[in-house]
Amino acid sequence: MKKYLLSLLLLCLFFSATAQSDSLMQAMSGNEKEPVSATFKSSRLILSQTTTMVKKHDLDFKVAHRFGDIGGTDGGSKMLWGLDNSSDIYIDFEYGLSDKLNIGFGRSKYEQLLDLQLKYALLQQTTNNGAPISVALLAKAGFTPYKVVTNVFDDYMNRFSYLGQAILARKFSSNFSLQVSPTLLLRSVVPAGDEKTLFALGAAARYKFTKRFGIVADCYHPFSNYRSNSTSTNFYDPLGLGIEIETGGHVFTMNFVNAKAIVENNFLPNSTSSWGKGQYRFGFTISRMFTLHH
Amino acid sequence: MKLLGIILLIFSPLAQSSSSLYVCKAVKAVIYSEAPIENIEATSVKGFSVIDLNKSEVQFNIPIKSFQFKKSLMQEHFNENYLESDKYPNAQFKGKIRESIDPTKEGNYPVTVTGDLDVHGVKKNRTIPGVIRIKDNSVTITSKFNVLCKDHNIDIPQLVFQNIAESIQVTVSGTFSAYKKP
Repeated sequence: MKKYLLSLLLLCLFFSATAQSDSLMQAMSGNEKEPVSATFKSSRLILSQTTTMVKKHDLDFKVAHRFGDIGGTDGGSKMLWGLDNSSDIYIDFEYGLSDKLNIGFGRSKYEQLLDLQLKYALLQQTTNNGAPISVALLAKAGFTPYKVVTNVFDDYMNRFSYLGQAILARKFSSNFSLQVSPTLLLRSVVPAGDEKTLFALGAAARYKFTKRFGIVADCYHPFSNYRSNSTSTNFYDPLGLGIEIETGGHVFTMNFVNAKAIVENNFLPNSTSSWGKGQYRFGFTISRMFTLHH
Repeated sequence: MKLLGIILLIFSPLAQSSSSLYVCKAVKAVIYSEAPIENIEATSVKGFSVIDLNKSEVQFNIPIKSFQFKKSLMQEHFNENYLESDKYPNAQFKGKIRESIDPTKEGNYPVTVTGDLDVHGVKKNRTIPGVIRIKDNSVTITSKFNVLCKDHNIDIPQLVFQNIAESIQVTVSGTFSAYKKP
């Protein structure tokens, strides 16, 4: 019995000695919480903005384009399936004041909207589920600088609109990310019966097939009695589907979407195009990142 | 049972004295790529390493995510597109020192270490040169070597071929202190 114990003890000592550097290495590899990076490749998908931030002193220059209706009365071969028209063109500069705070300025063709926005990264998802999601807060002011014929919009103050949004995103795996964005849009003046305060919910997802190529889906639903009850004009939820390609400093998105406008202040209240009637269009976004420091 | 106690008494200091082990919790690793369009450099100071001078064993572990680049977009692409740090979080090396070293004697020992280098989930048997310096009860290791991207299945698309070198220079250094059982 004692002999047996002795050999067991020797065996234990032997093993503890050989495995010592291994176990030491193991002990030092404490599971550190790391921020989850690149939930999305760019700060914009099709309709939605994402939790992805422009890093400190980087400038993201974006050009987004929406062509005309592919089908329906305004589409077809005569209009080269919409390519003869542009329903919206958006030029956007987004700058990283810090890794957590971005400022953006953009101009839309649609109603000549100028917009200025601030985006703040409130929470960053970490590994080990320290923080299960990333959260970004967004505030945007929109202004249409040109007079509209309808008299009511003549006053400058009546042409402002304000957007507030919380973006909640999670990178489920290196390939799949999903986000939800509760949104509030305030408009100074609206047509009779329409809500000045519009609440909407956005949802978007990205699935990567390769390291640099993926598909994206993006949609919004405005909660509005005016829109669901309207008989004179039909409103439809904006819905976009597309592909995303990244090549070093560029991110390209090519998409099909029913909404004519690119900026939330425009497409949330004014989406009257229907997928069912062929009123969807081809669109793309090009994002180019410039590093402004050395 | 008395015998057992005696054995424990005899062996316990022996197990304690096996501190030919040296550890470093702040290994510095620099990667450098020289290419026509731009030179890229990144540094990590979060690697850790254990060296056993009696057994001539060396182990290194460097977390891929700890490499800091000047351009943050490069850092993102390094993790997302090249090293895939979600899947392969660490670069590791485990090898045997081929030359004999006297831990009690101060001096510079040029050495070669043969073992497995694991980067991007691909193990490659390598013999890597380095210098071990023993002075004032501390051990310093420095080593410079190259890693070929294709050896570790790191794809560089044709489009960015001008930006990234096929061979990456790696410089590793660390100051080790004798490991004491807590």
